Amino acid sequence: MKYILLMSGTKAGVRNYQAWCQTDIDAHMSVLRNLQKELDESGEFVATQGLAIPDEAKIVRGEKDGLPVTDGIFPEAKEFLLGYWIVDVRSPERAHAIAGRISTAPGPQGVPTNMPIEVRQLVTGAQKTS
Amino acid sequence: MKYILMMNANKASWDAYANWSKEDLERNVDFMRAFGKELREAGVFVSTEGLAWPDQAKIVRAGENGEPITDGVFPESKEFLAGYWVIDVESPEQAYQIAARASAAPGPGGKPGGVPIEVRQLLSGFADLGL
Repeated sequence: MKYILLMSGTKAGVRNYQAWCQTDIDAHMSVLRNLQKELDESGEFVATQGLAIPDEAKIVRGEKDGLPVTDGIFPEAKEFLLGYWIVDVRSPERAHAIAGRISTAPGPQGVPTNMPIEVRQLVTGAQKTS
Repeated sequence: MKYILMMNANKASWDAYANWSKEDLERNVDFMRAFGKELREAGVFVSTEGLAWPDQAKIVRAGENGEPITDGVFPESKEFLAGYWVIDVESPEQAYQIAARASAAPGPGGKPGGVPIEVRQLLSGFADLGL
């Protein structure tokens, strides 16, 4: 079963993160790197990706005169995707456990961020509409 | 430059989608298949995924001893990711053009859906976080 673990945050949350000191960032990244290594070794790792900060985010809706209609204004409360992990696991509980590990990654002064991680199952195109 | 094109929808939109006719769904799926093929042929395709219905979505936070604490209650307005494409293009403008094509995917009655597509640049590694 493939699951995607989504880490999201508001622009205010991203600004806080950008103010972390280097030691805190290094500690955070080190935990995430170790987790990825573990998932690689257990054969559960599929993919991970980080997204650029949301300042340049655009919403595109259709076309006008052959050009895409773009909009870059978002409500302050909008949750932007910051990054994701795709894992291939035996049960939803295992996906939840991995998400819990990501949530324990340390923040400022080594205190776990307790970031909420959204866990969703992936589907193939055929199953999606059933 | 890698970009991710995301389709997000709140519960009301998911519910509306659940009521589409078989014909409308097939037309939409046909478009998505052709669109994927087109991206592959243009050499810009990296990956695509569809997500399961959000009924089973969970938010996980770590408890005091690191155990996962799950919560499945979401605000009505919450936007759930429905699916995404990752593309590798020359410019943001090219990403917007491709997003506009995805936005024009047919909805009920074959009319262009006009679904909003969120376009975001991807980082190629931790170093790109610029921290």
